[in-house]
Amino acid sequence: MELEALKEIDTAVRELGARIVVLTPELERYTRALHKKLGLPFDILTDLHLKIAEQFGLVFTFPDYLRDLYKSFGSTLDRFHDESEYRLPMPARYIVDASGEIRAADVNADYTIRPEPSETLRLLKELVRTERGP
Amino acid sequence: MSNLNDRLQEFKKNFESGAAPYNATPERVAMMHRATAELKASGIEARALKIGDHAPDFALFNQDQIEVRSKDLLRQGPMVVSFFRGHW
Repeated sequence: MELEALKEIDTAVRELGARIVVLTPELERYTRALHKKLGLPFDILTDLHLKIAEQFGLVFTFPDYLRDLYKSFGSTLDRFHDESEYRLPMPARYIVDASGEIRAADVNADYTIRPEPSETLRLLKELVRTERGP
Repeated sequence: MSNLNDRLQEFKKNFESGAAPYNATPERVAMMHRATAELKASGIEARALKIGDHAPDFALFNQDQIEVRSKDLLRQGPMVVSFFRGHW
């Protein structure tokens, strides 16, 4: 759902001279299928073993009871991520300016709440307008 | 374009009602709520990078196994980085 919603703002993001990238701990064999299925106009990058998500401070480990629960749903994260730990990134969206500075950050430990793409677009427009000057 | 979080809440409502295909039991729903509450209480959100911090550079492989570098993207303009749990 979130990726489809990001797809809807991709054209507007590009018109502002910006790019969307999605980072996930999943291996290429899964991102490839997902990318194709959704016909995404931006890249999904494999953040292998959550190295980058860790630097952003977003990684947490599933408690044992939840691990067992998801296993019973048939989700095998160890296989998707090439590691035995059930670790995930919190859903988060950042806007980074050309100098590498974070200009907007939206992080939520509750995975059922995601940053709203229309809000991301609004912030990006504001940033580009500020950078270009009056 | 309907709001993403409206759609997510609609999905959540349906999931927690125990409807097919997930058939979630109240015990399972309670467990998931507990996990989210514990994660929030851990203070992890406050430890994540925030406005004004420098974003880490990365070089990662995309879905076509082509390496993408954040520095190359930033040469063209701002970058929106979205972290995604996965397809499951």
